[in-house]
Amino acid sequence: MAPPALPQLLDQLSDLLARMCTEAATSLRGATTGLLEGRLRLAEKVAGDDGMMRSLRGDVERVATDALLFHAPVAGDLRRVLAAVRSSDDLERMGVLARHIAETAVRRDGVGAVPEPVRPAFAEMGRVGAALAHKAAEVVRTRNVLLAIELDRDDDAMDVLHQRMYEVLMDPSWPHGVAVAVDVALLSRYYERFADHAVLIAEETVAEVTGQHSHDLADLMGVDLTALLDGADPA
Amino acid sequence: MRDQYQVQLAGLGDALADMCLEVATAVERATRALLEADLQLAEQVITGDLRIDDLRRDAEARAFGLLALQSPVATDLRVVIAAIHSAGDIERMGDLALHVARAARRRHPHPVLPDEVRGYFAEMGTIAAALARKAATVLRTRDVDAAASLEADDDAMDDLHRHIFSVLMAPGWSHGVGPAVDITLLGRFYERYADHAVTVARRVVYVVTGRMPGPLAV
Repeated sequence: MAPPALPQLLDQLSDLLARMCTEAATSLRGATTGLLEGRLRLAEKVAGDDGMMRSLRGDVERVATDALLFHAPVAGDLRRVLAAVRSSDDLERMGVLARHIAETAVRRDGVGAVPEPVRPAFAEMGRVGAALAHKAAEVVRTRNVLLAIELDRDDDAMDVLHQRMYEVLMDPSWPHGVAVAVDVALLSRYYERFADHAVLIAEETVAEVTGQHSHDLADLMGVDLTALLDGADPA
Repeated sequence: MRDQYQVQLAGLGDALADMCLEVATAVERATRALLEADLQLAEQVITGDLRIDDLRRDAEARAFGLLALQSPVATDLRVVIAAIHSAGDIERMGDLALHVARAARRRHPHPVLPDEVRGYFAEMGTIAAALARKAATVLRTRDVDAAASLEADDDAMDDLHRHIFSVLMAPGWSHGVGPAVDITLLGRFYERYADHAVTVARRVVYVVTGRMPGPLAV
């Protein structure tokens, strides 16, 4: 059987990545609900189920390999294949982080992992994280550079939440003891890392579309994006 | 042409191995900065991370060049794809060393670690650097047996990580919540560093044998 044409494989890659993004968002939302509402069964489900993520990731690897093997893409097309390979690493990691959050909920028996004063912050982290993952789905599907830059800015909200959580924990008046503080610190870290990976996916997409690498998408705000995009390889 | 190709392929492995050596030094220095509250050393690690990012860019450019100009197939293609994944892992190891260095800098001139956990972190630093150096050897030699030896080191790292937790949770812990939180996150950085080294080695085994010796994302 003849392998599909390159544009088809490239579309498949975008579609697979977008599905991985949606999967990550769903896991994070489930983990957060499990954690905050003591929904133990939901937390167990998220903690125990990485089948879909693994299978999508395997598909990305296979489609990328086919694209390289049968079409030997160059320039912009090659960048696009490699960006997909890299982004699938980030997405798999987002799934693992969501599972870590769910595991904490399960270990704490669904209650008590998160004390009252910091619950709203975790609810917000869950919302921001899931929204970032959904936006990342949109970014990989549309390869819209401006949307990618917007995603990078949205992540600032997560950084602020994480920083505040750290300050709360460092306050000598923290009344919930060491064990809870340790859980809260790690949970906060998981959410922050989840968001970081969404940003990395956006960065990969910008680098792939524009041929310009920037570790800080905000840097790109200073440059003439139209000129950059005109200079990019035709997709 | 083919000879040139083999040279390029080996060059890609060497580039990754060099990255590993670089992040081994970084974690060693970061650990020393942490244990000895050495600000200068911490700064060295922090500025040195830019070089590690450059090395990743360089490794990726090599992989890109190989794919664009040589269109490798079969095992060689697996090698190049694995290299792209691994460059990301190794860069992340550098980031984690950077986090350790930043913790040392943030608390300077105060030590971050109370005496009862210093020994654990000294050992985690040693194991982390050893893992990165072993990963470098595996990348250069594609020695599957050497790759297996990383697993034992990683187990030792996990044990240390667990021990630290039990120290923090013990009733005798007298240093309060703040240091416990710092130590928790630091312990996590070392554990993740080790996981990435193991993943890099596992990927080499996969390339050589066609089979993955364990879960990719540990």
